[in-house]
Amino acid sequence: MSESASRIREQAAAVRRAGKQLKATALDTRIAWLVSAAARLTKSSLEARQSLASATGLSPAMVEWGARTTLATVDTRGLRALHDEATVRGESPVGLLSLVLAGNLFTASVRGILVPLLLGVPVLAKASSRDRLFPAMLVDALCETDPDLGAALGLVFFSGADEPLEEAFVDAADTVAVYGSDETVSAIRERHPELPLIAHGHGVSAAYCGPDALSSYHVAGTLESLALDICAYDQRGCLSPQIVYVDERAVSAESFATQLGALGLAAMEERLPRGPLPIEVGAAQAQWRGLAEVAGTLVRGDTFAIAAVGGPDVRWSPGYRNVSVVGVDGPEAAVEALSPLGPALKCVGVDEASRDRLGDVLARRDELGAYMCSLGTMQTPALDAPADGKPIWHGLLR
Amino acid sequence: MSEREAFARRIAAMIGRFEAGQLVDSATRDALIEDLAAWQAERIPEYGRLERRGAWPPALPTDVFRFRRIAGHPEPDDVRVFVSSGTTSTERSVHSYQDLSLYDQAARTAARYMLFPDVEKMALVLLAPHEDEVPGSSLDYMLARFSDWFGSSSAWVWRDGALDLDALSKTLRDAETSGQPVALLGTSFAFVHAEDGLGGRRFSLPAGSRVMQTGGYKGRSREVDADILLAAIGKRYGIEEPLIINEFGATELSSQMYETTLRDAIYGSSGVRRLWVPPWMRATPVDPDSLEPVEGDQVGLLRLDDCANLDSVCCIQTADLARRSEDGIVVLGRTRGAVPRGCSLAADQALGRHE
Repeated sequence: MSESASRIREQAAAVRRAGKQLKATALDTRIAWLVSAAARLTKSSLEARQSLASATGLSPAMVEWGARTTLATVDTRGLRALHDEATVRGESPVGLLSLVLAGNLFTASVRGILVPLLLGVPVLAKASSRDRLFPAMLVDALCETDPDLGAALGLVFFSGADEPLEEAFVDAADTVAVYGSDETVSAIRERHPELPLIAHGHGVSAAYCGPDALSSYHVAGTLESLALDICAYDQRGCLSPQIVYVDERAVSAESFATQLGALGLAAMEERLPRGPLPIEVGAAQAQWRGLAEVAGTLVRGDTFAIAAVGGPDVRWSPGYRNVSVVGVDGPEAAVEALSPLGPALKCVGVDEASRDRLGDVLARRDELGAYMCSLGTMQTPALDAPADGKPIWHGLLR
Repeated sequence: MSEREAFARRIAAMIGRFEAGQLVDSATRDALIEDLAAWQAERIPEYGRLERRGAWPPALPTDVFRFRRIAGHPEPDDVRVFVSSGTTSTERSVHSYQDLSLYDQAARTAARYMLFPDVEKMALVLLAPHEDEVPGSSLDYMLARFSDWFGSSSAWVWRDGALDLDALSKTLRDAETSGQPVALLGTSFAFVHAEDGLGGRRFSLPAGSRVMQTGGYKGRSREVDADILLAAIGKRYGIEEPLIINEFGATELSSQMYETTLRDAIYGSSGVRRLWVPPWMRATPVDPDSLEPVEGDQVGLLRLDDCANLDSVCCIQTADLARRSEDGIVVLGRTRGAVPRGCSLAADQALGRHE
């Protein structure tokens, strides 16, 4: 159905009204609702894996992996812990959240929608034109599980360029959360300067492997974990590592790139094949790979490439399993190299043995708000993992 | 005779054969590309690092021209350096020449064949800066040579970095009065500026008049859909659409491709609007993963092998999308926003310190 400004306003008003019941519902009931809906969505996602693959451009195996791992984070214990931590200061949920979803990562809508609902915030979500199916399935799962509570969630579709509809969508809300490009975030901020805005703009992530992770005892596991981090969602998300720093006292960047290709990414291609390469990404990929080959060493597979970079100049790849490996002499050097990114650095994956040291270094850099996690888990953040240097519930309570 | 000289002669002879109306077969061209690429790989370390895959020599991505000097000769031997537009050093491609004779021969031969096949010389109206104003622009250099080779008169309607609308108007009114056809040559964004600035002024240019537009917009005017601009130019200047053609050139290349409709119209042939590929060039849409030629009329990334690129690299991988069409190529435009999934150019520059 095509949207109109009046229809969006009506829908927003209905969602806001339903939010009163949501807030009045006991926490246990809300949690049970969300957990049941997640289970229902897991089942429906697996059934619809082919359709979701077509809609998202990921392979069916990747869709299945993404749905399973993301929805597995929605459990009773985790939800309760998140709620308790978020509400420790006794703040109240905002009256209505308007949520702009991005299209690059289909499961991002899970955290974006379930966390506000858990906290008693009704949500009016706008799906991306690039990914309508999964958000619609999420809404269906919530409504089918409990139609009354499900009424506290609405889903709308309209073009981001349609300003009257955007105005209706935004004006209805107490707070707006935006997942998307920096341009999308800026455009909304510019058009609505007074608006409380939770911005989740673009970002990148990196990984660090210290000597222990590169030892003969651990290297196989390191390669497998890194390969998963790189291949998950075809490296389209802001939590995907685009650069892997390796301690060059343990291994050279070239040698590690070769191992990562042969033992990591090639094997992962079997398990989680890459989706079709969009031609515009292919254009950037051809340029990126060629330049990497001219500048240093490039390890190529059928659906991946790894650039071993000798100097400080690192070019961001177009994603889709194109990654740089850079040799550094410790976590301090890696963090120093990343520091110009500031808030655009979202996550640093790190091996267990280097975790404390890297954590200390990161903590000393005020300009970096990235959170740290273990290798192999970069693309499966816990429900309560911070976002953009802030708690996931930031802006939802007042 | 040096190897360079031998290659220069071989290339010049091939272009010359075409210029003389003789057939240049693709096998001869392919053999020359093969030999030239092998020689260039020995002389230019950046190109030599590219690994050969498949049947053809590797193609150097155009981006490399933004970061490295790609030339087989030392910098002091440069006679001309073409630099693409852009606001930062990493946005500008640089192409160095030791000698421009092949560039000139290729440009003259292609333009004679596609743009001026029916006239020895004609009045030119140039909607672009004179080469003295922008000495690094390959387009402005080419237009200046067109003025030398094909212009019975040349009016540069560009002053102090902007289109001089009054001069353009006056020149076109004079053409209307004299009945002498003109060729309007310029960038697409200049034609858009003219559309925006000329208001109600319309022209009915004499029969035989024609338009060549080229290049993208690069933020220098509002962007206009190609078909809409084509129709607007036709209406504005009173020129039939087949006589309005696009030229495809690039700083990284020494040869140009032209749309076919003008020549088709002059000689009564028919065919879809497509780019003619000079016989000393090879234009191939390739698969983005394998970089191998795509089948049939599938869309691929445009690879251009240009024999006139003697002093740099003849095999070039562009970021343009293209497909084959009849005996030519249709370029579907340059991809946008294909930079990082995660982050933007700002971060690229911050981290890469390329400035």
